Amino acid sequence: MVNVALIGCGTMGRTHANSYKNINNANLIGVCDINMEKAQSIAKISGSHVYLKFEEMLENENIDVVDICIPTYMHKEYALTSMEARKHVFCEKPIALTLKDANEMVRFSEKMSVKFTVGHVVRYFPAYKRAVDAVGQGEIGIPKLIRTTRNQGFPKWSWEGWYMDYEKSGGPILDLIIHDFDWINYYFGDVERVYAQSLNGKAKEQDHCVATLRLKNGAIAHVEGSWAYPEGSVFRTTFEVVGTNGQIEFDSLKSCGIEKQINNGHHITSYLSPTAHSMEPYQAELREFINCVEADTKVSVSGSEAVKALQVALAAIESSLTGRPVTLKNYIH
Amino acid sequence: MKEKVKIGIISFEHMHALSYSKALCNIEDAEIAGIADADEFRGTQMAAEFNTKYYKYYKELLETDLTGVVVCTNNKMHCQVSVDAANKGKHVLVEKPFAVDIESAEKMLKAAEDNKIKIMTAFPMRFNSNVLEAKKLIDAGEIGDILCIIGINHGKIPSGWFLDPTLAGGGCVMDHTVHLSDLMRWFVNSEYKKVYCECGNLIHNKNIDDCGIVNVEFENGVFASIDCSWAHHKNYTIWPQVDMEIIGTKGVLEVKACAQTERIYNAKEETVGDVAWNESGDEGLIREFVDVCKTGKNPFVSGLDGAKAMEVALAAYQSAAACRTVEVEHIQI
Ligand SMILES: NC(=O)c1ccc[n+]([C@@H]2O[C@H](COP(=O)([O-])OP(=O)(O)OC[C@H]3O[C@@H](n4cnc5c(N)ncnc54)[C@H](O)[C@@H]3O)[C@@H](O)[C@H]2O)c1
Repeated sequence: MVNVALIGCGTMGRTHANSYKNINNANLIGVCDINMEKAQSIAKISGSHVYLKFEEMLENENIDVVDICIPTYMHKEYALTSMEARKHVFCEKPIALTLKDANEMVRFSEKMSVKFTVGHVVRYFPAYKRAVDAVGQGEIGIPKLIRTTRNQGFPKWSWEGWYMDYEKSGGPILDLIIHDFDWINYYFGDVERVYAQSLNGKAKEQDHCVATLRLKNGAIAHVEGSWAYPEGSVFRTTFEVVGTNGQIEFDSLKSCGIEKQINNGHHITSYLSPTAHSMEPYQAELREFINCVEADTKVSVSGSEAVKALQVALAAIESSLTGRPVTLKNYIH
Repeated sequence: MKEKVKIGIISFEHMHALSYSKALCNIEDAEIAGIADADEFRGTQMAAEFNTKYYKYYKELLETDLTGVVVCTNNKMHCQVSVDAANKGKHVLVEKPFAVDIESAEKMLKAAEDNKIKIMTAFPMRFNSNVLEAKKLIDAGEIGDILCIIGINHGKIPSGWFLDPTLAGGGCVMDHTVHLSDLMRWFVNSEYKKVYCECGNLIHNKNIDDCGIVNVEFENGVFASIDCSWAHHKNYTIWPQVDMEIIGTKGVLEVKACAQTERIYNAKEETVGDVAWNESGDEGLIREFVDVCKTGKNPFVSGLDGAKAMEVALAAYQSAAACRTVEVEHIQI
């Protein structure tokens, strides 16, 4: 049995807590949030102990894994504190806001001999996995052109509106399309060069970004992310991988299992895509990490892979600000 | 009986000549008065099909009493043929891309001006019902001000002279950038400023650029990306794909110019295909050209529009060769 303590009981905290309920060898013993109500509502899911102060939770509980679901700008501080106490760490993506912080986290996990992983959950999304399998089986030849989109409205819902403060979230390039940077980086090849365009906060409560990547193997990619859709828009992701012998296309809206239309005064259409229990991606990434801690094996998403994705995102931000392509330096860790 | 407007077709080297000729047949007050094609076999065949006179040399066709000509030679020849036609006082509809370099485009525009004839670019998408509706919605302010546009013009790889840069002026970047660069410029109502491009011979192994992403920026700050790849493999269910996602301050428009299709499963041939049930735009384009010939009015989509769209493709090649953003070189007239 692996004992887990969770910090940050917002959107992701709730998702993780619900996942642990279904992971037999995980025990969510403590949850922590500066907001008592939020912590209590999440503690109810598994009957966990509630803490307002992280240090108290660290001291009082017999913890194996700390699960970090607080806003990005605090990841490093709590990751280092946890590692210092020799806890394994699951950290939500993005790993951190700067390469310096991210590298420090990776190095410290090695120094303290604890396991460290980052929630690059797109690797666990069934449609994305299926595509990777198809590519692996040679169904489309060698992938050469990759397009991804990840579109939604402006994230006004967060605690203190922290997503809207780019100093804290990094904006959509760092927060949103880092998912696709990781997926492309990991499965299709390292990035050589990035050119990106973004509104960079120029429009009120709207942002949209595109990054053109040239991979070291010659393939090109177009990665798009949006915080510009009207409030209430459906979150939608798509990808297209074109290879030398064929292509794969996916659109989350077009492959939904349920379209619901109701009218309670005004008409609402919603699209739902429930996945089989064993395929639920957040559960899958957490289960894998818990198993890895229990069996003392290598983590699937390493800290240095998360650093790589961050490096692409930072290069994209730099490019979008300078208007020039940015060639990635060999990343150091 | 009123006299019909006499139109000549110069070459069927570009296959669009066929659909333009068919569209001409459907216009009551126009007639195809002759077909010139250096390829005798193709030319006589087409002349027979459209019940008109065949000319081996286009200059002979230009000596007749035509009002206008449709130029569907290879791209390189657009300049010479259009200039000759203008010098003979014929209105000209020239297939896209308008020309293959700035100098040729300038010559063509100047010849039109000197001879007081109208030169028009064959951009059928300007007459596509979905595109026209999108323009109407944008101009009515339904999505507010445009912030950025993401465009895709994928299609299958053509054959023959299209794969010879000396005749085509390039590969997919020359062939497929211009439809969207024209529509975007029309929507945004500003001139192109900067271009960045990643492209290459990536999927079809034909020694010519077959994949390309072109990032552009307008004078007014709007940015856009154009995917001009010949990305569809031979069993892709439809041809072509012309999509735009237009992000505005008040909403988003998703335009799919060729989306009105239905699917046919043919069990005997074991094929699956999508067939369009909407008219693509050729009809409106040809009707407009006939109108120009009749009245001498300024065309709805001019030669200059074609030249401006081409400037983006030229800048894209410069950018790709130099791995940097380039300022768009504007035509001087
Ligand atoms: N993997 C994914 O798909 C995904 C999706 C969304 C968010 N995320 C990431 O997850 C992280 C959290 O995002 P979120 O959307 O859940 O944010 P959120 O705003 O919904 O929740 C943050 C929570 O942290 C709490 N908090 C703030 N400071 C704290 C402190 N010092 N100690 C304890 N609790 C504190 C807040 O009260 C709030 O409940 C971010 O890094 C984000 O980028 C990942």
